[in-house]
Amino acid sequence: MVSLNPIRILKNEAEEEKAEIARMSSFIGAIAIGDLVKSTLGPKGMDKILVSMGRNSGQVEVTNDGATILKSIGIDNPAAKILVDMSKVQDEEVGDGTTSVTVLAAELLREAEKLVEQKLHPQTIIAGWRISVEAAKQALANASFDHEKDMNEDRLRSDLENIARTTLSSKILSNHKEHFTKLAVDAVLRLKGSGNLKAIQIIKISGGLLEESFLDEGFLLNKKVGVHQPKRLENANILIANTPMDTDKIKVFGSTIKVDSMAKIAELEVAEKEKMKDKVNKILAHKCNVFINRQLIYNYPEQLFADAGTMAIEHADFDGIERLALVTGGEIVSTFDSPDKVKLGHCKLIEQVLIGDECLIRFSGVELGSACTIVIRGATQQVIDEAERSLHDALCVLAATVREPKVIFGGGASEMLMADAVSKVAARTAGKEAAAAEAFAVALRRLPSAVADNAGYDSADLIARLRAHHAQGESTMGLDMEKGCVGDMKTLGITESYVVKRQVLVSAAEAAEVILRVDNILKSAPRRRGPDRRPC
Amino acid sequence: MAPKAGGDSAKGNSTVYKDKSKPTDIRLSNINAAKAVSDAIRTSLGPRGMDKMIQAANGEVTITNDGATILKQMSVIHPAAKMLVELSRAQDIEAGDGTTSVVVIAGALLDAAEKLLQKGIHPTVISDGFQKALQMALQVVEGMSTPVDLTNEDALLKAAATSLNSKVVSQHSTILAPIAVQAICTVMEPVEGGVGARVDLRDVKVIERIGGTVEDTELVPGLVIPRRPANVNGPHRIEKARVGLIQFCISPPKTDMDHNVIVSDYAAMDRVLKEERQYILNIVKQIKKAGCNVLLVQKSILRDALSDLAIHFLDKIKTMVIKDIEREDIEFVCKTLGCRPIASLDHFTAENLVNVDLVEEVNEPTGKYIKMTGVSGGRTVSVVVRGTSGAVVAEAARSLHDALCAVRCVARRPALLAGGGAPEAAAAAALARAAIAAPGADHYCLRAYADALEVIPSTLAENAGLNPIETVTELRAAHASSAASGAASGAGVNVRRGRVTDMRHEHVLQPLHVTASALALATETVRAILKIDDIINTVN
Repeated sequence: MVSLNPIRILKNEAEEEKAEIARMSSFIGAIAIGDLVKSTLGPKGMDKILVSMGRNSGQVEVTNDGATILKSIGIDNPAAKILVDMSKVQDEEVGDGTTSVTVLAAELLREAEKLVEQKLHPQTIIAGWRISVEAAKQALANASFDHEKDMNEDRLRSDLENIARTTLSSKILSNHKEHFTKLAVDAVLRLKGSGNLKAIQIIKISGGLLEESFLDEGFLLNKKVGVHQPKRLENANILIANTPMDTDKIKVFGSTIKVDSMAKIAELEVAEKEKMKDKVNKILAHKCNVFINRQLIYNYPEQLFADAGTMAIEHADFDGIERLALVTGGEIVSTFDSPDKVKLGHCKLIEQVLIGDECLIRFSGVELGSACTIVIRGATQQVIDEAERSLHDALCVLAATVREPKVIFGGGASEMLMADAVSKVAARTAGKEAAAAEAFAVALRRLPSAVADNAGYDSADLIARLRAHHAQGESTMGLDMEKGCVGDMKTLGITESYVVKRQVLVSAAEAAEVILRVDNILKSAPRRRGPDRRPC
Repeated sequence: MAPKAGGDSAKGNSTVYKDKSKPTDIRLSNINAAKAVSDAIRTSLGPRGMDKMIQAANGEVTITNDGATILKQMSVIHPAAKMLVELSRAQDIEAGDGTTSVVVIAGALLDAAEKLLQKGIHPTVISDGFQKALQMALQVVEGMSTPVDLTNEDALLKAAATSLNSKVVSQHSTILAPIAVQAICTVMEPVEGGVGARVDLRDVKVIERIGGTVEDTELVPGLVIPRRPANVNGPHRIEKARVGLIQFCISPPKTDMDHNVIVSDYAAMDRVLKEERQYILNIVKQIKKAGCNVLLVQKSILRDALSDLAIHFLDKIKTMVIKDIEREDIEFVCKTLGCRPIASLDHFTAENLVNVDLVEEVNEPTGKYIKMTGVSGGRTVSVVVRGTSGAVVAEAARSLHDALCAVRCVARRPALLAGGGAPEAAAAAALARAAIAAPGADHYCLRAYADALEVIPSTLAENAGLNPIETVTELRAAHASSAASGAASGAGVNVRRGRVTDMRHEHVLQPLHVTASALALATETVRAILKIDDIINTVN
């Protein structure tokens, strides 16, 4: 006797989706994510408003950055989650191209859906894609170029400027891209190839216009000098500390003093004061003329420092002092018993500067000569935040380019070039893989098509023209988004970083492959929680 | 690109097939929400603008005419509407005045953009077109401005008066305007090798006091502490005072660690009391020895800054003592008096005290406060704003803040414009002329921008009960004829006379920085709103 009831293997409430259902849910999730960020692509891409729910509900953010959008949305679809994670990785690895990578992966899956309908096995599709990725990579590498042979300052600079301009033109800064291009390139060139973006500090001060943002050759700290202390110092020796400046308390819970007269308390108070004074004297024994503490400096030590003519800055945050230690070459100390062993930071000049309504302390001529600060000004907090994100992208791309100075043409030229190469390979391939390869080419062409769509141009027409140009071997042709026509990217000077492009291609293909291989989705049963009886 | 009948917004450019309507819907909903915000404060623009009464959730009532304040209190929910609130706040930070105008301009520009969208022009094209229009408008506005010499107080006065004229306290502009100008002139520091001067508004302290009328508002070249002395029967008026600012406390000693005084018998108790008395007496003696007769004490949260016993002794040595000076205010007090704070008793010596000509306690029905004049520090001022009720005082203080900002704007960028909607009308006239020659979609964008700018004179007229159509057309004609003759015209809406006149003759002048920043910020925000095609709820 066979029971007709299905045998339950999974726990109650756990879910399983199989075969075509699983595949469909992956496709739908991934395509939805792709479509969500697609409209932000390109120089005329649109922005999104992100409205926070939950804790800080009602907060509004306006952004064009794919990674930021994807980071903030809540997702329940596993395939969509893979794409979001991929865009995060792209953000961490190269900093830019977060939208492109998501859109490309989604477009690949859109094509795969059609192929599966035509009875192609997912593994066949994957085999076809692998051939395509190889061909596309090869084509990209062949098309990339650098000025290795006759590399000089000016060449590098103009290359970097072109790349920065291309990156920035798709962001909020597009209006002021000349200004910010200069800022970003100056900052990255100061690093002298080290690519250590930590040495570039970004400070946001609201008020003013975006054009009023500037690069400061030094380090800015958003703190105040103590009252009645020197506001300007030359050849500063800086002691950076993380120490409590009140009396060192005995950190035993509930320690108390028991006395039987007021005079004894007064004595103890004096003793405490003496301890503070001792500590200040110990600090002064380091022969420093600037003392920066992460914790508070109280009134009494402040006055003692003022008497000694030492500049004392209190309550500099963690980030502040760590960066300060990095750029001035000092170390952060907590005990002051051996002055000779402590490494002091140095800088040529410390002074107070007023930016907008804020008073900051500027350290110029610091030990780490490559350090600099970019001050972003802007009308509203949203504008400043978005500007910071855009600038961060540009800096990342530039740093990546400095490491590997290969560039390729932008404006859709490289995508069309890769698509062409893939198409050619597809034509030569015998077997079902050819269909998959052809689909790969189609997906690649969707990127410039989306860029054109976003600008309100007729994408079908533009892409067809572009394809014709590429078929004739004019591989530098791309989309001129200013005029809405096909143009030569070489004359327009639109270039992108080779590293970023390659990363986009490889990660998108990988992510799409991972999603396509899935034929079963298991969702584990949610953890049981007791009812929430907290008062709300 | 001909206008389409019916205005079906989902259908666009005939050559491109549009498959989505959501972005268009989102855009329209954003525009409508933002326009609603702008409509809400439109009626408070200009000298004849109306005020708004806002009741907060806690029942408190604010009466104001200041755009930034109204919007701040309105608590809007729609994200696009929030952007307009942010815009007005940005103008408040940047220029401090023109917070209503900036929102009204943004509303008009959005209205224009909506019509252009219906024509089938792509939002990014409109956005770029508006940017071009902004550049032209800024050129026109800069071209018609007249440079000012910062030593010329008369010009500064006019700027302050124009700003004050549109407020509740407009009838007192003759009193408040000179105060604003004098305050800014005192704290102004010229920029070396640059144009204009640097003004830190934190150096102007505005103190609100209920009682008296707005006319009693006064500028004090010194320090005002809105608090009575802590003395019980100490001196009320000290001439040639020696002032000390202390950061330590005059109260029984206290250690950082917890402490217990264990009293075992009656005699010990007596001894403890005596010692406490002795301890405080010691401090007071030191104060007397240094010759200090006015003592400012920083607020302390760990212990009493002043014990009753200390007050008693200080009364006896005839020293006025003022407690609870906030730590953040120490810097300001030091700057005003030119003193340094004293953190321990050993430093309390004669050389750390400063001379002040007169310290007096001013007695008013609604409370007492302390005034110090004849200080050696200078470079800061205090303004005591008075009024009959809390709402009036608050509004007067806000108006004074706007006037201070207006003068600061002139200091930062020393140029003045004719007021009364003249710069907007001139820019509109120039843009309309430029539109004729511009090809493609720019033509529509420039013309729409020009029409949108006329919202300022039109609203001014409307709020003053004039016929907006007649006024605007008259204004347009005046600017067109002056453009033909090549001279910049200052024709604007003269609300007092109810017709179009040259505002420069009426002495209605406003800082260039306010107008320029209003145009730039409004355009930037409108472009940001146009670029948005989706609203996403996020979890965090």
